[in-house]
Amino acid sequence: MVYKNIICPVCGGSCDDVQVNLDKKNGTIDVQNACKMGNAKFQEVVSHHRILKPTIRENGKVKDVSWDEALEMAADILVNSKKPFFFLGSETSCEAQEVGLHIAEYLGGLADSNATICHGPTVMGIQESGMVGATAGQAKNRADMIVYWGVNALESMPRHMSRYGVFPRGYWTKRGRFDRTMVTVDPRVTPTAAASDLHVQLNPNSDYELLSAMFTILNGKEPHPSVEEITGVPISVMKQTVEMMKESNFVAIYVGLGVSSSYGKHRNIEIALNFVKEMNNYTKCNIGALRGHCNVAGFNQLASYLYGYPFGLDFTKGYPRYNPGETTCVDLLREKDVDAAFVMSADLMDHIPAESAQYLADIPMICLDIAPCPSTTAAEVVLPGVIDAMECDGTFYRLDNVPVYFEPFTDSPFSETKSNEDTLKQLFAKVKAKKEA
Amino acid sequence: MEALLNTGSTIDEGRLAKGGSKYTDDYTKECAVCWMCAEDFTSLGCPEKVAVISRDRKYSVALTTKVTEAMRSGQVFIPRSIWANVVVEPDTFSTGSPRYKGSPVFVEPTDDEILSAEELVTKMYMGGE
Repeated sequence: MVYKNIICPVCGGSCDDVQVNLDKKNGTIDVQNACKMGNAKFQEVVSHHRILKPTIRENGKVKDVSWDEALEMAADILVNSKKPFFFLGSETSCEAQEVGLHIAEYLGGLADSNATICHGPTVMGIQESGMVGATAGQAKNRADMIVYWGVNALESMPRHMSRYGVFPRGYWTKRGRFDRTMVTVDPRVTPTAAASDLHVQLNPNSDYELLSAMFTILNGKEPHPSVEEITGVPISVMKQTVEMMKESNFVAIYVGLGVSSSYGKHRNIEIALNFVKEMNNYTKCNIGALRGHCNVAGFNQLASYLYGYPFGLDFTKGYPRYNPGETTCVDLLREKDVDAAFVMSADLMDHIPAESAQYLADIPMICLDIAPCPSTTAAEVVLPGVIDAMECDGTFYRLDNVPVYFEPFTDSPFSETKSNEDTLKQLFAKVKAKKEA
Repeated sequence: MEALLNTGSTIDEGRLAKGGSKYTDDYTKECAVCWMCAEDFTSLGCPEKVAVISRDRKYSVALTTKVTEAMRSGQVFIPRSIWANVVVEPDTFSTGSPRYKGSPVFVEPTDDEILSAEELVTKMYMGGE
């Protein structure tokens, strides 16, 4: 049967035009309009490596158990922990993340999500400076200049350029690519840089200096000549870029981890945001983060709405605290500051530095996921995951913080659970029963 | 050789990771790779494999080499994956986010075996279980 307008649950692009032909009888799925990553994820519905049974590790051996046994053991680990840590990954719905946050609050633990190892510093920069933002649709219809700064959009969000950024025909950009100028700022010659009109190839870790110099130029002053050696970019190119921006009608800047993850971190974002504010004295200019993980923006929205902070939530004192560098995932694990972990819909072991990963493998870990990965290998308890937007409904937030409600085209393959939200609710009930016993 | 490490997405890394294929040879071939420019490759003696070593020399990972014009001298790139994160600086500068871009590393020729993702997690992180 053919299903149309399915939401893709892979990256922050949340493409809503995916067409799926699912043949349950023969176990095949044909996917149209999705990118390579999206197509691969849709194939998971019928894949042979899907995790279909809960497992536990007993005396070093992994064995299949019933759902009830797995949930019991998971609840035991969490209840017996003095400081449990919840990594509520982004490849699931806000509804599931919400239950996870409530369990963390109930147990006085800590909760974090992919934001912390993704655009966490971007969010911190926004807290410092505020943000001139726009929805992706605004950029599509209005922007005649696109800047990809520290992001390889063609490979991290493959359809961004064709859906929102560069190629689509917008209301005021009717000729699509021909009505737009595209600039990429990246130390590497990426496919995105190769497709650009101008590639500003800066030295690694010099984003702050480059932005400062461009800010100086925007204010009509001459930057110090040493900035050429530091950034590897001639001042004439900086001036040309600033002029191109000023002469455009609407500039949309998309930042990636190249800005927020290199030296300078949230200060890079802070100055970029201030630069954008200043640029609005000359033309319309906005900035947005190209959020690679599916519902990573959703966790920020949800945690801010529920507890006042966007990520790195610490409930150990009975009320929410937020101190990046102390209450955030990589730091907690590096400092060996938690004694059990619940990892949902994210292969955390794969994404964090060795010191943190080693400690994560040392402590009891419960992992909810759909396919074998380093996190499931190191976990004490593995709970099979339900694939959001394919097997259950829920809400994602798109890269521009627009909520997107998704509906499934097939059912959960498990009689024991309808969704990850359902699994977490069952776990929460067991945790409460044990805690209050 | 001292270098600055850049990590990030490649389309096939994304395809394999999202498709649940992290324990396949294809994933190892795509991600256990160190990209560098021809100049750096020559200065290292044109090795088939290199060890990328963290700044404090505590962690090391063996990778195949890939020569590309996408890189400048003194910079190396590893697709974002468990191999890259072995040598990413864990310090977050009080932001929560490690230095996925611009971590200082050492790069040396090696004959060490290239581990699969599963071998890496069991041998390096789980103490050889």
